[in-house]
Amino acid sequence: MVELAPGAPGHRPPPHPEGEPLVELQSLTTGYERTPVLRGVDFTLRRGEFAGIVGPSGSGKTTLLRSIAGQTRRFEGAVEMHPRQGERELRLGYVPQVEAINWNFPLTVGQAVLLGRWREMGWRPWPRRRDQELLMHILERLGIGHLANRQIRALSGGQQQRTFLARALIGDPDLLLLDEPTSGVDIKTRHEIMHLLGELNRGGTSILMTTHDLNAVATHLPRLVCVGEGAIVADGAPEDVLTPEVLRRTYGADMLVLRRGDAIYVVEHLDEAMTGPEGAPEGATPGTSAPGG
Amino acid sequence: MGGLAEPFEFEFFVRGMVAATLVGVLCAAVGVYVVLRTLAYIGHGLAHSIFGGAVVSFVSGISFYIGATIWGVFTVLLINAAARRRQIGGDAAVGIITTCAFALGVALISRHGKFTRDFDAALFGEILGITSGDLYVIAGVLVLAAAVIFAWWKQLLFTTFDSDVASTYGVPVPWVEALFSLVLAATVIASLQVLGATLIAAALVIPPVTARLLTDSFTRMFALAAALGGASGLVGVYISWFVNVSSGATVVLLQGALFVMALGWAVARSRWPGTGSGERLAAIEGAQLD
Repeated sequence: MVELAPGAPGHRPPPHPEGEPLVELQSLTTGYERTPVLRGVDFTLRRGEFAGIVGPSGSGKTTLLRSIAGQTRRFEGAVEMHPRQGERELRLGYVPQVEAINWNFPLTVGQAVLLGRWREMGWRPWPRRRDQELLMHILERLGIGHLANRQIRALSGGQQQRTFLARALIGDPDLLLLDEPTSGVDIKTRHEIMHLLGELNRGGTSILMTTHDLNAVATHLPRLVCVGEGAIVADGAPEDVLTPEVLRRTYGADMLVLRRGDAIYVVEHLDEAMTGPEGAPEGATPGTSAPGG
Repeated sequence: MGGLAEPFEFEFFVRGMVAATLVGVLCAAVGVYVVLRTLAYIGHGLAHSIFGGAVVSFVSGISFYIGATIWGVFTVLLINAAARRRQIGGDAAVGIITTCAFALGVALISRHGKFTRDFDAALFGEILGITSGDLYVIAGVLVLAAAVIFAWWKQLLFTTFDSDVASTYGVPVPWVEALFSLVLAATVIASLQVLGATLIAAALVIPPVTARLLTDSFTRMFALAAALGGASGLVGVYISWFVNVSSGATVVLLQGALFVMALGWAVARSRWPGTGSGERLAAIEGAQLD
């Protein structure tokens, strides 16, 4: 019997299909140097949404995120941003993959977080009193107030994620972009990070994140974007997107999708699941969805 | 006691000491960013390239500072452009462009037929031949570098830490990088007479690396590197009077000795539980086990 992930449909923040567009990618072909990674992508994220990007390694999910962050080269198409009324630019908060961060850099948690507020800090190299107060407020809110003077390497995985989440939040972002925020952390920390993101989203922050974790993360998000071979394969609610057909087109492999109520579980290693002592779970066959129970 | 004060009786020596101190502070402050961006090789390459510029200036009869500035800026822009191509990479771009520029200088010298004292100074430095004009140039570049670093402190720090993410947060990264490259080129040019092309890289790299061993805070690393750079310039030149060794070499050897001491201190502290570094390492280990 395959254990279903502790699905928490009630925990899902409601999607915001009627919200105003925040970011629109229009027929976007983008990549690095002379190599396009994504081709002709159309994608709209609305204010207040919480969406996840899934796909295999090298499919272009980080490129999709980075194209919104302005870190890729645009070959064709457009990226339209819709900032707040009276503001010239959309405020972005970006949390990179932990592997992309230079942990040996001589930065304390406080110094790293204040980088996210460099524009508001004025011309002085050092923070003013209100910058310090805001810093401590954000750190306390994320439960790392006691670590302000600790070097960034001397932190646990969860504390490191919170530090860079704090850097993103201190600039009061309209949109939070997170690249694999739950990668390399334990189950408890992953749960805490997802809980925190859900809270931020309920508070009005729009969130777009990549994840490779289908069961523990992706199935709990209100909206999923499947990226495969440089294109968006499917886009919608997990129950509509996570089908064997879409997963085969996205990952190029047969996967089993089990449903129980609103909970969805993707069995990524079909062979192991099928060759267990109980054989195929009742109602599930390769390449089909198991009916909800 | 009169013996210890003897060097101060000579104006050229005092000028040399002041120049070495200012160059020590300048190179170390700029070097902090060079080291943290793992661009140590660029300082080395740029110094050699500007030697080529010095020779071209001499042969064409124009001022060293004008010729070397044009040459330095051109080289830096060329390195930046080449390094953006992933097939080449920053280190290879530096290697190709700066050695070619250096080779051009060597070729011109051999064609010119004379290896003059000026070239000797450009290669190995000649602190005691510093003129008042050189001193003004060094002081001017120090003020320029200090102004740029002070005014663009946050932008420089963010770009040095993570340039991709810095651009997402609105930092004008290409401008920051271009401005820093120009400050680096100016630093190398101003330091050439004092340390010579062969020793500048050491002054750019050793004090920041020594400071990094002693602290985990960027602000403290910067202050410590500048202090170590300045102090080793001052003391190094003073010692060189008595040991009768090239001043530039003495400064660099003193910096090397300070580095070895800092390394020994860091290793000892990390193995000694309950001390600062030991606590840091324990915290790291604890965090990883968390």
